[in-house]
Amino acid sequence: MLSLPVLAEVTGQVAEATTVHAESVNPVTEFANNFGVNLPAVIGQIINFCIVAYVLWRFAFKPVLATLDERQKKIADGLRYAEETKARLDSAQQESAETLKKAQVEAAAIIEQARKASKELAERETTAATARAGELISKAQQAIELEKQKMLAEARTEIARLVIATTQRVLSKELNDADRTRYNEAAARELTSV
Amino acid sequence: MASGKKQITQLAHKLYKLSFADGRLSEERVAGVLAYVEKHPPAKPVAVLRAYNRLIAVEVAKGEAVIEHSGPVSDATLQAIAATMTSRYQRPVVASAKPNPALLAGLRIRVGDDVYESSVSGQLSSLAASV
Repeated sequence: MLSLPVLAEVTGQVAEATTVHAESVNPVTEFANNFGVNLPAVIGQIINFCIVAYVLWRFAFKPVLATLDERQKKIADGLRYAEETKARLDSAQQESAETLKKAQVEAAAIIEQARKASKELAERETTAATARAGELISKAQQAIELEKQKMLAEARTEIARLVIATTQRVLSKELNDADRTRYNEAAARELTSV
Repeated sequence: MASGKKQITQLAHKLYKLSFADGRLSEERVAGVLAYVEKHPPAKPVAVLRAYNRLIAVEVAKGEAVIEHSGPVSDATLQAIAATMTSRYQRPVVASAKPNPALLAGLRIRVGDDVYESSVSGQLSSLAASV
C-alpha cells in the first residue's frame, strides 16, 4: 500500500514530466501521443485513486488493522497470561515440592530428636536405676555390717558374762580362808596407801 | 511450795549446826535439839525432823568406815584402815566390819558417800565392763 506522501511525490514527478514535455517534445511524449495517452486523464485517475485509497485506508483498512492488532494483542496477552499461569503453576509446584521436602526434613529432624530424647531418657532412667540399686546395696551392706557388729558385741558381752560368772563360781569354791586373808591384807595395803 | 521447802531445809541446817560441840557431833547436843523441837514444834515438824535426820545420818556415816569383806580380816587391818581414814578425812573414823561373800575376796570400804574397793568381784566387774 502506498502512503499519501509517496502519491504526492509521484504526482509531482508526473506534473514535472508533463511540463518538460510541454516545453520540448521528447521521444517519450511522442510515444505517448502516438499511443493516445491523455495526460490530464491520467492525472485525474491518479488523484481519484489516491482519494479512494485514502478513504479505504481511513475507514476500512485502519479499523480492520486496529481490530487485528487488538485481537493479536489479546492473543498475545492470553498467551502471556497462559505462560505466566504456567510459570506460576510451575513455581507453585516447585514451592509445593520445596515445602514438602522441607516438611519431610523437619519431620525427619523431629523424629530424630524424639528418638534422641527417648534414648537420653532411657539412659538417664538406667543410670538412676543403677544408682538406686547401688544405694540399696550399700545400705543393705551397711545394715548387714551393723547387724554383724551388733551380734559380735552381744556375743562378746555374753561370752564375757559367762566367763566371769564361771570364774566367780570357780573362785568362790576354790578360794580358801588363807587365800582370802592374803588377798584382804593386800587389798588393805592398797587402799590405805592411796 | 518451794519457799516452804527452803525454810524447812534452812531450819534443819540450823538445828544441824547446833548439834556440834568442839567441831564434832555431840550426842548431848542432838538430844537437846530433839527435846527443843519436841517442846517447841515448828511448822511441819515431821519434814524438819526428816531433813535433820538426813544431815545427822550423813555426818555419822562420815565418822564410820563400813568395811565389807569376804574371808577373815584381822583387827590390825581394821585398825590400820580406821587410822588411814581418820587421817584422810581429818576426823575420828571408826571401822566396822561387815561380811559380804559376794566380793569373793578383798575389801570394800564405805565412808559417807565415798567408796573404796579392792576385791575380786570388783575386778571381774571392771573386766566385764571393759570387754
